[in-house]
Amino acid sequence: MLGGLIEANVKARADRRSDFESLKARVGIRVEDIDESITLEFKGGSLAVSNGLKRNRDLTIRTDADTVMTLSNLAIGPFGMPIYVDGVGRTVVQRLLTGKLKIDGMLTHVPTLNKVTRVFSVR
Amino acid sequence: MAATKVRAFSPEFAQAFKEEINKSQVYKQAGKGWKWTVGLVVEAEPDKNVPDSHGVFLDLFDGEARDIKMVSPDEAKKCDFVITAPYSRWKQVMRKELDPTKGMMQGKLKLKGDLPTIVRYTRASQEMTECTTRIPVDFPDED
Repeated sequence: MLGGLIEANVKARADRRSDFESLKARVGIRVEDIDESITLEFKGGSLAVSNGLKRNRDLTIRTDADTVMTLSNLAIGPFGMPIYVDGVGRTVVQRLLTGKLKIDGMLTHVPTLNKVTRVFSVR
Repeated sequence: MAATKVRAFSPEFAQAFKEEINKSQVYKQAGKGWKWTVGLVVEAEPDKNVPDSHGVFLDLFDGEARDIKMVSPDEAKKCDFVITAPYSRWKQVMRKELDPTKGMMQGKLKLKGDLPTIVRYTRASQEMTECTTRIPVDFPDED
């Protein structure tokens, strides 16, 4: 589903396409409440999706299904920065602060995280 | 006095579903801007007393259910968004035993349609599910 979401986003929006084409990263997503994990490997214009968490990931998002949907609804503001001050953004921040959302590698890969957020975002 | 139950996936169920959606202030808000038809395909499970597949057609517009009716599965498949699952999965959704977001992620509910659009309306689809849980339903495998 997440692969399909990114594919549809990239096809529909030129700004997301340029992010996608320049994104090189291995991103793991662990959806705790359905006990499923995937690895998204962005290779500068192509994406490989595989089951499970592969090694050497740049970012790993650990959360529940609802928060994955919430992350996909983060609005993107000026300069391509995710907006954390509206309702959805505040929910994301709150879940980060309470540990319901954990992003390993967040502090060392901020530009990559912002790009991943943009290719995920439907807003 | 207990509310009268309606048979799952009958015309009476479709009518009750429409009424519940139109009563919901949450849906009115969350569904603002939605302008696509949704088809639910309920796949037959003869061993659960559901010998035939059913279709539910939902004409939802801007936070309102304009029409909800039972149709053939083929008719439901012509909608802008189509969600397909066997009868017992839909029953799990209506009993709150399966969250539809999780169900779609796990492939238990199969979605056809523009994913970014449906993700934008996650809250609306969650509330639609909530509406089904408020309908007193008589399930055919519990006869």
